[in-house]
Amino acid sequence: MSLSDIHRNQFDPLNHFHPREELVLGFYSQPLPSAAFVNHGVPQLSSALYTPAYNMNALSPEEMERYQELSNKFEPELPGPLVSHKQSTDAIAVEYANADPAFATKTNALAVTHPQSRIMKGDGNCGWRAVAFGYFENLFNFRDLIQAQRELVRIKSLNTLLDQVGQQEHLYEIFVDATEEVFGQIVGAIERGERDDSFLVDLFNDEYNSNAIITHFRLLTSAWMKLNPHRYQAFLSMPLDQYCATRIETVKTEIDEVGLQGLVDGVIEASGLTVEILYLDRSEGEVVTSHVLSPPRTGLGAIRLLYRPGHYDLLYQVEPALNMQPVVNFQYAMSSDYSSWGTNELAFDVNSSLMAIPNLMMDTSFGLAHALPQPPSDPYRVSPPQEVYQPPVHTPPPPPTTIASPQPPIRLTGPPPIMSALPPRSNDGPQIRLNPLVMKPNLSHSLPVTAPFKNSPYNQAHFQNQDFEPIHWEPHESRK
Amino acid sequence: MDYTMEDTQNSAPNAHEASKLGASAQRNDTQGVTKRLQSELMQLMVSPSPGISAFPDADGNLLSWTATITGPSETPYEGLTFKLSFSFPNNYPYSPPTVLFKTPIYHPNVDFSGRICLDILRDKWSAVYNVQNVLLSLQSLLGEPNNASPLNAQAAELWDTDQDEYKRHVLARHRDIEDIE
Repeated sequence: MSLSDIHRNQFDPLNHFHPREELVLGFYSQPLPSAAFVNHGVPQLSSALYTPAYNMNALSPEEMERYQELSNKFEPELPGPLVSHKQSTDAIAVEYANADPAFATKTNALAVTHPQSRIMKGDGNCGWRAVAFGYFENLFNFRDLIQAQRELVRIKSLNTLLDQVGQQEHLYEIFVDATEEVFGQIVGAIERGERDDSFLVDLFNDEYNSNAIITHFRLLTSAWMKLNPHRYQAFLSMPLDQYCATRIETVKTEIDEVGLQGLVDGVIEASGLTVEILYLDRSEGEVVTSHVLSPPRTGLGAIRLLYRPGHYDLLYQVEPALNMQPVVNFQYAMSSDYSSWGTNELAFDVNSSLMAIPNLMMDTSFGLAHALPQPPSDPYRVSPPQEVYQPPVHTPPPPPTTIASPQPPIRLTGPPPIMSALPPRSNDGPQIRLNPLVMKPNLSHSLPVTAPFKNSPYNQAHFQNQDFEPIHWEPHESRK
Repeated sequence: MDYTMEDTQNSAPNAHEASKLGASAQRNDTQGVTKRLQSELMQLMVSPSPGISAFPDADGNLLSWTATITGPSETPYEGLTFKLSFSFPNNYPYSPPTVLFKTPIYHPNVDFSGRICLDILRDKWSAVYNVQNVLLSLQSLLGEPNNASPLNAQAAELWDTDQDEYKRHVLARHRDIEDIE
């Protein structure tokens, strides 16, 4: 639109506008958000346009209709890249510093547990883009050529889903090609030994390419949901086919909970990656609410999404814990929870004399102990991952009563039955044979190797235990 | 068919190098659009649907096409042929094409300038829709107007109240394809 055109016409008494000038007038005939005015660069002309020479009622209903439509379709220019580089989560905390205290507390805690984040552009595809990017980023971070190739084969094999729901290959092949291109670049980068993931960020910031990948993931999700309607229909307010056509397969419809579950189930889960959402809202609690969408698995990566109403970003945990998610609480596993461990698979050699020590290797700074649930029926349950997110730095040491130190095993009427199944001990004194996972080089730095030192006489943590009683030496008693 | 675009595509070093350079990103998009439209054209020629046709304009610009649909039988549009124009955006298929009726048409969801109100051409657009889907959808729109949100309120009312009068309006407004342009 040229401003000179408007000037030329603004004194035209006959109200004969060219279609494009009508548009300007139309914007003033409807109540519109001010951003629409700014976008069209005409507010300075408002006085001219409001002169009595213009008869607003001269507009026909269909013209009005069109202006309404123009204003409905108005999209603000959004700043920022489609996918940002990793940045400090402090930025999110700063954003909420003056907001509701619930947000401030949660974002501060988040910056400790998840120090890095990646911001997605809120253009209607952010949830899709976050999951797709997180998927490829994890594949690159594994640096595992065989796994990358295997994933490529798997994703391409999902084309059969597209065929089954009647998608035409000549239409979907360009989307599959875009995804394959990402795999190709990941494999190339791994082969060259690149550490920098900028190439992936660049790929996702090429809008056309990014759209193609997202469309591919959308179509796979839609096909998966249509082929498994029993899993999703109950959660939808409309027929599944209509839902897929109007919410999943469209080009700019934000992902919702059902769609996200479909995406995880149909596309992501078979890769072994965990998908977790951290909800930032004003619900009770001092930390964001976590929800894991896929069965959590140790040793593999995770896609962590930060959800704020209507928007998804990516989060990254503290590095040392990267391969530890979900954290298996070795202490509790050793002391009680044998049944779920499968002693044959994990050759843990448990020393019963160590078992007898309450709170063995209990490390309150680890941030787990006080978060353990204590249902009376099953006091030894391994902590589910959603309760792990306690910010260890900001939380005061838990009062001793909340430490999960229910019945020290020594007080049990008898040893847990499973104990008898363990091989007999030698009498050479305490022996610890380490979990084979310890031997994995990439895990060694993340295991709580310092834990045994907590049992040292120099550790004063035992003073916090409610049941702690100093031993008084009685000279009359002989030593046992 | 635009052969110059094809040459660009063939001479490009490779896709990912092009995408790394900001200046080449546009060319990358154009390649994608071209490839997609060529594939659609191929499909239309290999397996044509009865009652619809579409072809790129003769000016060598693959981004603008002219299409025709015939009115479905047992509707007021039976036996009539309508000409439409397709204008594809640079990021097609991630934005819908702009579709206009070039033949004057009397219909609740089409205004007097030929603009169409159809959800799949707006926010319900999907990247797997194509020229063929759109034309088939428009063909069915002729026989099943959406009178809940009409662009032409009179047509919407007549459709519900007086089909004979409606048909008179349709025929009065219609022009033969040869008479257009």
